[in-house]
Amino acid sequence: MGADASDLSLVRRVQRGDKGAFDALVLKYQHKLVKLVMRYVRNPAEAEDIAQEAFIKAYRALPQFRGDSAFYTWLYRIAINTAKNAVVSRDRSPIGYDLDRSSDESYDMQGRMKDSETPEALVLTDEIRSIVNTAIEALPEDLRTAIVLRELEGLSYEEIAATMDCPVGTVRSRIFRAREAIDQRLREVFEGGLGRAEELG
Amino acid sequence: MNEELDSQLSAMFDDELPAAECDLLARRLSRDTHLQARWGRYAVMGASIRAERGVRLNAALAGKVNVAILAEPTLGATAVPQRTRAAGFGWRQGVAGVAVAAGVAGVAAVSIFWLRAQAPFAAAPFTARLAPLAQTRAAAPGTVSNSPAPADSYVVPRAPAGRAVVVPITELANYVVAHSEVSSPVARRNLLSAFMTSDPGAAGTEEPLEAARINAQ
Repeated sequence: MGADASDLSLVRRVQRGDKGAFDALVLKYQHKLVKLVMRYVRNPAEAEDIAQEAFIKAYRALPQFRGDSAFYTWLYRIAINTAKNAVVSRDRSPIGYDLDRSSDESYDMQGRMKDSETPEALVLTDEIRSIVNTAIEALPEDLRTAIVLRELEGLSYEEIAATMDCPVGTVRSRIFRAREAIDQRLREVFEGGLGRAEELG
Repeated sequence: MNEELDSQLSAMFDDELPAAECDLLARRLSRDTHLQARWGRYAVMGASIRAERGVRLNAALAGKVNVAILAEPTLGATAVPQRTRAAGFGWRQGVAGVAVAAGVAGVAAVSIFWLRAQAPFAAAPFTARLAPLAQTRAAAPGTVSNSPAPADSYVVPRAPAGRAVVVPITELANYVVAHSEVSSPVARRNLLSAFMTSDPGAAGTEEPLEAARINAQ
């Protein structure tokens, strides 16, 4: 089981004309990409626009992707270049909204307020986070440790197995069961939450 | 939904599923909207646990990208531009090939002219080249010869039986040098070996010439 095997499987499908496989890649990396872009821009809406542009650029460039590097490394590089270009073009623009950059806090608020969806979106985001945290708190110790080591620390199954002194298969099972428990709560809220998000969009 | 399938999906999300299983699941994932929704929620869980600041977990980013990608040409179908590009390369390769072939032909022609200028009989068959050598040898002192052969004769004058064919070793060496331009390395090496092993004192014997002839053929 090679690292990046799942991404590569999806990438190969996209390269053969399966657009649905690209949706899976977007779903997997959208949050990480927005987080990455937010190192260059503070406005979440702008970060999402840049991330969207980066995904589209990546899709167009996928025929040239040969798998020499990991897909996410390649994708991150595209996102960083897109973000840098966006910052440069914005700085050249006569009207910028970063005039108050001297104050980080006021800039952050200004950036947030630029987004008409933001108040509702932030509530939903907070709601989702709260639900996930509550679900994690309710997990048995072994499941909670496994999912936190995976998602927060980024450990591989093998590393988690060594840490928890159990077989790799057990780690896989624990992480899956933890996700199932969280997903049960998340699904109920997400159906309503996503519906509201779509209305907003 | 099948629990084993969901377990595989969870492992695939973490890049912990064997590649062969990934291929099969990727096929299903790209088509099954329920599976995709679950996959998307796995990503939301991770982002929530990491408490990624400023990242809106309900953002419609994936939907927007999906709409944009639908408007894009399918990558499998974009083989057309690739073919066009390949055709372009093919056209250039064809021109390059013709140019290389013309260059090789030109070099060959110049080489032939040069060789002919340097050694008028260098391009002639080995047997034919022996005729002038035989004439030279005939002119050499201390050698016996028949009547002189025509200068441009391509027929090797047959030496009378019992008579030794004497070829000066320096001329043979010069011949080998000139011949090395057009002979194969193996034949050249054998020819040189034949000269090296031949006794200068016995240059009047026919053996080295015969060996050279065989090796050059």
